[in-house]
Amino acid sequence: MNEHVEPVYLEEKLEEIRADGHQGYRSKSLPTWCPGCGYYSMAEGLTFALRRLEIAYKDVVVVSGIGCASRFPFFFKTYGFHTLHGRVLPVATGVKIANDALTVVAVGGDGDAFAIGGGHIPHAARRNIDMTYLVFDNGIYGLTKGQTSPTSAVGFKTSSTPYENSDVPLNPLMMLLSYGASWVGQAYAGHQHDLADMITQAMSHKGFSFLRILSPCVTFDKTDNTYANLNLHVHDLPQDHDTSNLMAAMQAASQTDKPALGVYFKDDRPTLAQAMNATATRASGTG
Amino acid sequence: MMNRTGTDIQIAICGSAGDGTIASGDILKRAAALMGFNVIAFDVYPPEIRGFGKCISRVRISSQQSYSLKQNSDVLISLNDTHAIPHVGEVRDFGAVIYDDNLIANVPEGGHISGHIHPAQIPYGFSIRQISEQATNSARSRNIVILGYLAELFDLPREHFRKIIRDKFATKPRAVTDDNIKAFNAGLLAGSGVFKLDDVVVQKVDAKGNGADAEMMTGNGAVARGFMEAGIQCYFGYPITPATSIMERLAVEMPPAGGKFLQTEDEISAIAAAIGAGYAGTRAATATSGPGLALMAEMLGLGVMAEVPVVVVVSQRGGPSTGLPTKTEQSDLNLAVFGGSGDAQRIVLAPTNVEGCYRCAGRAFEIAETYQTPVIVLIDLYLSNRYETVIPSAHKQFAAKPRVPLAPNGDGAFKRFELTENNISPRAIPGEEGLMHTVTGLEHNELGRPNDAIHMDMNTKRHEKLKPAVNFPGLTVSKRFGDEGKVKVGILGWGSTFGEILETMYEAQAEGISCAAMKVVMLSPLPVESIAAFFADCDEILVPEVNYEGQFANIVCGALGKPVSRLNQTNGAPMAVADILAEVRRLSGKKPKTGQSDTFTEAAL
Repeated sequence: MNEHVEPVYLEEKLEEIRADGHQGYRSKSLPTWCPGCGYYSMAEGLTFALRRLEIAYKDVVVVSGIGCASRFPFFFKTYGFHTLHGRVLPVATGVKIANDALTVVAVGGDGDAFAIGGGHIPHAARRNIDMTYLVFDNGIYGLTKGQTSPTSAVGFKTSSTPYENSDVPLNPLMMLLSYGASWVGQAYAGHQHDLADMITQAMSHKGFSFLRILSPCVTFDKTDNTYANLNLHVHDLPQDHDTSNLMAAMQAASQTDKPALGVYFKDDRPTLAQAMNATATRASGTG
Repeated sequence: MMNRTGTDIQIAICGSAGDGTIASGDILKRAAALMGFNVIAFDVYPPEIRGFGKCISRVRISSQQSYSLKQNSDVLISLNDTHAIPHVGEVRDFGAVIYDDNLIANVPEGGHISGHIHPAQIPYGFSIRQISEQATNSARSRNIVILGYLAELFDLPREHFRKIIRDKFATKPRAVTDDNIKAFNAGLLAGSGVFKLDDVVVQKVDAKGNGADAEMMTGNGAVARGFMEAGIQCYFGYPITPATSIMERLAVEMPPAGGKFLQTEDEISAIAAAIGAGYAGTRAATATSGPGLALMAEMLGLGVMAEVPVVVVVSQRGGPSTGLPTKTEQSDLNLAVFGGSGDAQRIVLAPTNVEGCYRCAGRAFEIAETYQTPVIVLIDLYLSNRYETVIPSAHKQFAAKPRVPLAPNGDGAFKRFELTENNISPRAIPGEEGLMHTVTGLEHNELGRPNDAIHMDMNTKRHEKLKPAVNFPGLTVSKRFGDEGKVKVGILGWGSTFGEILETMYEAQAEGISCAAMKVVMLSPLPVESIAAFFADCDEILVPEVNYEGQFANIVCGALGKPVSRLNQTNGAPMAVADILAEVRRLSGKKPKTGQSDTFTEAAL
């Protein structure tokens, strides 16, 4: 027999949370995701990271595109911009260039990022804009109720692929590594504490950091990217993985059947803002 | 032609790509501006960078203000007979055709320009190539030899030419300048003994007139100048003809001035980043042409919905699709005014001359900030690329007003989209304490949270807030010219075509037709009251536009519920004064006048 546990009442729990200060970054709007959605972990992870890094609410801008993930900014008590489908990175680029003192977090799902928004990623990466791009990858279009996405597996049945998906999925990590992203990592929504730590690391990086977060869609995917399947396959990158070795990162990223979690690659190079300052110096003839 | 006092000469230089045609025209117009003349100049060149396409540089030099190129040139200079022959007809009676009379090869039947010169035109043949080769050991200085010849023909001040030549080649080795001066002097010598055009007045211009203060500017240069003087902070652009030179100018000027300049991966990114930068509180802009604007349409809607100030300059070219990239047209009006999903009214300004490009571009930031919405400055290739002398006395007028910070409310319930008396809401920008909020392309309540029920109220707010824009201080929204009171014919126009409209109006008046013209600069929201007052005064309304569908006429008819006469041409060229004048005569009940053929439009292709 389990020993008796005192029930925790919601009001008391909320008091506790308020007193803790942890939820200070969250707005009064409650998330609208399905119960069990991986995105709750990510909201919690970003909350943790912002608190850990002690960034003032007023200095944070959360920018999103369109999709389930893109409701993200409404749930934070920071500045936010819910933009258009696929256009999170160019809008975030404008915000960051306008005011380099801001902490810019771009968020979106796999459709927003790799389908309609795919053309913007290489340019944000190669320019090394100092922002963090969190892509919540569940391999499906959830907001439009379950169509195939660029990261859906071959053979996946959805409402738009009733006779199975035949398109080979993209490999987002390989893409970002070859695009010249200066920080590339992968996390899993089922590992909430590690996820929070990875978001913190991504945000601590000076430059363009890309974190792919594997996340089940509990409503429209009962077969592929489920917690049960992902729990079986995900594992940490080896302890001795060299984050400065691009080829080693590529090698690790190519192992798609057993996704490894952790920091794949990290490179310290000038950010866009630093490059623009250097341009201004050259233009003024003082450099 | 209309009688203007003083000087009014138009010179057309025609050659093949690589002949230095455009460079020659450039020196001519700059020298003329330095002499104190008013100058309007427009170059036509092929889309290919290298090859054998036709280039024409037309320069109109006048001592009084002129508003467009003339229908007929006074002088045609041929650097390439094959290209110049179709333009002989554009030279007026008793005008000059200058050409090389030294045959260097067997010319096929009809291949030499001398065989095409009309009896009433005056041929000026001389050995252009030979003189060039004698002066500089090269045929490449033919384009400078002709300038010397021209200076002699019209007795224009030589020193002004020499100064511009020296300036133009200042960054090249000294020998290049020396050779060009030698070529110019050789041209002078060649022209010294010839018969002068005796019906051309070259009036010495008072140095206190435009004098050395006048600046030669293109429409695109004026846009960039307006942006810089308004303190533009962020520019995002993607190359597209004919808007590219705005981007190129800002790429040079913004970094040393502390501005942020970025060439983006496409037009969607360009406006997206500009909207991001506008949201973050900076003066941000982009510039494009019709195809780019089509890509930007969805983002314009976001700018309207999220109420973000941003400035978009659109230089139209022939369309649809890739269309006619190096030819002018006014066919993106619908897209600029209506483009995008939903009811998304924005502000659209269409300057009518180079000075207007400067004013509208500079003022656009202030308007965008006042009404918290995208502002489009709609120009076209003809305006982008043509040169005019602009007197800079009106400059330095767009200083940014300091932001008045709002008091923080701190409770996370800042009403960014508050429904207020004047429908303009308080605006905070990221980094400001206690005013955090999220903006969105979703319909939203006063707090910015997604909400469908409030859609009618918010639609009302977004449209009503723009209405006072037609009275925006420091901006000419519409203006009437010509006869006062009741008139027979009123010409209503917008954009670059208004120059030709004004010239037409003066010609019609000179013919005794009671005539007025109105330019409309703000195309959205439309200054309906002033247009209605104009309609009330005119028996007939004519709307000439360089588009097929009569896009402005459609808007005006829709707004006023009254019919208009339309004149629509899409020849890839500016509309000819003669064509507008013919319509004015018809509407006024006057019989068409027979005169010189309307060759300009056709030839300008």
